[in-house]
Amino acid sequence: MAEFLSFAMNGLVLGLIFAVVALGFTLIVGMMQVINFTHGVLFAFGAYFALSLQKYVGFGWALIFAPILVGLIGLILERLVIRRTYGGNPLFGLLLTFGLAMALEEVIRIVWGKPGYSVAAPKFLAGSIDMGFMFYSKYRLFLASLAIFIILLVWLFLEKTTYGAIIKAGASDSEMVMALGKNLPRIRMFVFTIGTILAGVAGVIAAPIWSVRPSMGTSILMPAFVIVVLGGVGSFWGSILAGLIVGMSTSISIMFWARISDIIPFVLMAVILLFRPRGLMGEKSVLEV
Amino acid sequence: MVSSNGSAKWISNPMWIVFIAFAFFPYIPFVGRYISLGTEVLIWSLFALSFNILLGYTGLPSFGHGGFFGIGAYTAGIIFLRVYKGVWIPLVMSILIGGFFAAMVGLLVAKKRGIYFALITIAISQVFYFIAFRWDQLTGGETGLSGVDRMSIGLPGLFSIKLSTPIHYYYFVLAIFILCTVLIWKIVHSPFGKVLQSIRENELRAKYLGYHTVAYKWAAFTISGLFAGLAGGLYTLLINSAFAFVLDWTQSGNVVMMTLLGGGTVNFFGPILGAAIFITSRDLLSAYWESWMLLYGLMFVFVILFIPSGILGLIGGKKQTILR
Repeated sequence: MAEFLSFAMNGLVLGLIFAVVALGFTLIVGMMQVINFTHGVLFAFGAYFALSLQKYVGFGWALIFAPILVGLIGLILERLVIRRTYGGNPLFGLLLTFGLAMALEEVIRIVWGKPGYSVAAPKFLAGSIDMGFMFYSKYRLFLASLAIFIILLVWLFLEKTTYGAIIKAGASDSEMVMALGKNLPRIRMFVFTIGTILAGVAGVIAAPIWSVRPSMGTSILMPAFVIVVLGGVGSFWGSILAGLIVGMSTSISIMFWARISDIIPFVLMAVILLFRPRGLMGEKSVLEV
Repeated sequence: MVSSNGSAKWISNPMWIVFIAFAFFPYIPFVGRYISLGTEVLIWSLFALSFNILLGYTGLPSFGHGGFFGIGAYTAGIIFLRVYKGVWIPLVMSILIGGFFAAMVGLLVAKKRGIYFALITIAISQVFYFIAFRWDQLTGGETGLSGVDRMSIGLPGLFSIKLSTPIHYYYFVLAIFILCTVLIWKIVHSPFGKVLQSIRENELRAKYLGYHTVAYKWAAFTISGLFAGLAGGLYTLLINSAFAFVLDWTQSGNVVMMTLLGGGTVNFFGPILGAAIFITSRDLLSAYWESWMLLYGLMFVFVILFIPSGILGLIGGKKQTILR
């Protein structure tokens, strides 16, 4: 039982990381209809920036600065190339970001080298804590609460602020939003940057429990795709729910039959799509025209 | 837009040029020595042509087509090592199994369009990757399958061709390539191909004209998978082995890239030109520069942004492309 609990807890933590990554991804798909292949490599950049920064400023500040740097990369990418893909065939944005992702992954190899690193969790979060029913790593608990905090923050922003309302309106009817005098290109730029910052944050907090290597971007990108399809493209709670489902099922399946753990999320996706073609919480949207 | 106006002869003039160019390739000074590279170009050309039935003719943005290539590659290897040491039977099984999996996946994706189609095809091809990687009793896992030799073909007592000689295998693949190119040409120029093109232009209108568009999309997906499986099988015989790398998602990206680079969306022959340029430049780049992926990724971005209708589109003066 104790063993099962620890696998379940690990699954929850993994699921929360997935959820944060998928949230950024789904914001971008929902708003701009761009499948952002660079999302994974930006997650990796978050981890690498944290790795380099924490030597100088410590983990706390790295947690703040690394995502900002990632957001900056996102901003530049959006301004330079990605905005050209808006309104085109989905394959256009997908291919463009595919090329960018390849180039960026190579940049990581050039700057930080091929071998992997491990990032140490900050000292005050080292060790484990007695939760009453089990002992659990302090850092993972910190990670989980931070992820929940970020998710709530994004939710509050989208639901309770005027700017959030404009973003949601832009996702459902961009022409109308423009007609109402809103600066759509700027809103899109903003959403893209927020999306990439979410990938960066997830990369930073995942760094101590993940092996930091150039290919770590790919290893999060595929689950992110599955989560977004599983939860319903563009759906906020759908991607959170699907993130948790994928994280938990991956982790728990490791306990029973480790070999199939990579495939579980895809099987879940295929089964759910048979019964709910738009995913768990997807609604009919502009994406299906 | 790539279209099929006019008569659909079995062999057209540009086709002669392509076939003759490939037939004399081994005799061209300097480059002709790289026979295996030439064979690889032929195999990838076939794969890209099969993919273009979906992208160029039906307008389906499949981003997981490497899956069927990989399934074909593993099928040839597994059949050779476990069932029958030959050439024809592993290759025929590559076609059938590649087509079978495409038919199954097609059931799941034929109703989808646009982003959903792209995302789901990516995800499914990834499943194949993990299965190949984990099911090591069947696929050899990380080490893959090796020792898939090229046996001799021929008629007993009459003649025999040693395919283990690279040049013989080159011409063997060329013969299959010619056959498949003609077949694909006939398919996209048939009434069936016309319906596919009408789906690309306006699926709803095609549906209102009475065509069961989902069935047509499924058929296009399956046919495409048959040829992709064959290309995979030929690839296994070329490198004498099969690794999980053939199922990597970047392979799916590569085939899209080749098709676009050559101009598959505006010209039937685009995928062939694209594959030739792509495979050759990749070989050159990776031989001279360790970080070639950087240049390669940026080249990708450049083509997508500035020559989206591909090289043949640029020459033909066609700006229109399905990308925008």
